[in-house]
Amino acid sequence: MNNKFTVYALGIVGIVLLTLALSVMPDSLNFFREDKSAMFVFTLIVIMIMLYEVKLAKNSSEPIFLRTIPGLKAVEEAVGRSTEMGRPILYVPGIMDMNEVETVAGVVVLGHVANMTAQYETELDVPVARAIVMQSARQVTKEAYLTQGRPEMFNEDMVHYITDDQFAYAAAVNGIMQRDEPAACLYMGKFFAESLLFAETGNSIGAIQIAGTGSQTQIPFFVTACDYTLMGEEFFAASAYLSKQPELIAGITAQDIIKIILVGFILLLIVSRAFFDLGVTEFNLVTWLGL
Amino acid sequence: MLLKRYIPIAIVAFFGALTLSAWFIDNETIETFANDDATQFFDIIAAFAVFLGALNLLKLQFIKVLKQQSGWIYSAIAIASFFFAFIIGFFIRGAYFVGEDVYFSQKAAEAAILGSGSSEVVVPVDWGAHVQTDGSLFQWMFKYIFSPLSATMFALLAFFVASASFRAFRARNFEASLLLVAGIIIMLGRVPIGSLISSWTIMYILAFSIGIGINSYVKNRNVMFGWILGSCGAITGFGMTMGWPIDQPAIFFLPALQEWIYLVPNLAGSRAILIGIGLGIVATSLRYIFGLEKSYLGE
Repeated sequence: MNNKFTVYALGIVGIVLLTLALSVMPDSLNFFREDKSAMFVFTLIVIMIMLYEVKLAKNSSEPIFLRTIPGLKAVEEAVGRSTEMGRPILYVPGIMDMNEVETVAGVVVLGHVANMTAQYETELDVPVARAIVMQSARQVTKEAYLTQGRPEMFNEDMVHYITDDQFAYAAAVNGIMQRDEPAACLYMGKFFAESLLFAETGNSIGAIQIAGTGSQTQIPFFVTACDYTLMGEEFFAASAYLSKQPELIAGITAQDIIKIILVGFILLLIVSRAFFDLGVTEFNLVTWLGL
Repeated sequence: MLLKRYIPIAIVAFFGALTLSAWFIDNETIETFANDDATQFFDIIAAFAVFLGALNLLKLQFIKVLKQQSGWIYSAIAIASFFFAFIIGFFIRGAYFVGEDVYFSQKAAEAAILGSGSSEVVVPVDWGAHVQTDGSLFQWMFKYIFSPLSATMFALLAFFVASASFRAFRARNFEASLLLVAGIIIMLGRVPIGSLISSWTIMYILAFSIGIGINSYVKNRNVMFGWILGSCGAITGFGMTMGWPIDQPAIFFLPALQEWIYLVPNLAGSRAILIGIGLGIVATSLRYIFGLEKSYLGE
């Protein structure tokens, strides 16, 4: 453990020195944006911690502790419930395109859900709002069915395109819910105002509902109307959690370490600002960092 | 293996790293690529992919209609709407100017000229501009069919917010009760009637609520009665002695209280979630760039 923190401390010092060196280079050679120094340092620290944690996880035989995320545990429960009831699972990967990291995360989680539906022989329905998402989701679903040795169960129309328009898509998905009455509705991706339209309709048909999103403004709606909600970082951790691969779980460990560093940094900024405002010192870390 | 695994990972790693580096490197070529070219590549791919989507939509809706599956009538409407929008978008100009007046068809425009006996000529709208010209057939469809339908869906939100709030505000446990109280304070504090409720009233309500809490914990009427009498007396005594106006003490005045709830505990909570989301996005993106996450390849 001590060794780990020595590596991090030395790494952070090295990164700061590198940034300073880049900043003082002569203008003719300088290609570095000095105004982005703080962001540069932060990015390199995140990369360093992540890669080191992954290396440790690969070399370690001990499993990494990961707290239970009820929403992700419930995914299997939801698939089981649908199988018992003989009703389909509805999976909505958000309404945005593949250039949104939340959509990518949603499609990745779809792969894990498709693994389960292939295993349990449960019907899966994935209406999408973007054609590129349709292609990606199809590929991921197909691979999942192949991995589970059930290629005959895969039907490419289980992932189908509806429309790019937000409310037309919401109307179509609500119609599917009302007509097919899925036993489980999973909403994983980027959502806007349609989130509550989905979640309340799902609630009215008595489906078990699990939502995951990084759209901060939609989280309260999902928390209110769904049985389980993956809030922000939990959603991005879903793939690692479901895959149980050490190098992916190490990424979550890295996130937690960065969070601790950030909390410490925020406290340092508060103290520095307080001392500056009280006139104890003339140095203000917040201004010095250009934040 | 090479085509399905290594090349996609290499492409993601290269372009991910390039886009990330554009933030820190002062180079116009890289910057233009990240900010303009790459997004244009994406837009072009997305535009062509729409054909795939449209074909998939039509295929599924046609199958539904042909097999007369449940809700096939909606599929028939979807197909009809698709072709209506397609035809008036690609094959019909739908806007013919006679002076400043716009007509859907050339015949109607010519009839109008004949009727008025004016010397104006019919000027058809340019292709492309016809979808945005006010008074064109496409704009008519947009204004009188598409927009009202979208607005109808959006309006449903109001009712869903009410039903969702009703469920969320049921005081089942401590957290739900806290949400209920905070919700009431925010709602009352943001409407005019909130500023008519004096701080005194809120303090009396608070004293009664604490009395209920004491009673459920101690289960002694005398203690509860003593508390209510004492606290109400103290509030009245302090208020009269110090001459509190309607908005004093400010901490119990609803508009001030809701502002505090909104700006302090609420903002702190949302910032915590925001930091988590930001870190999650950074970590996820780096997992893709470094090839750690391969689930998008189906692995």
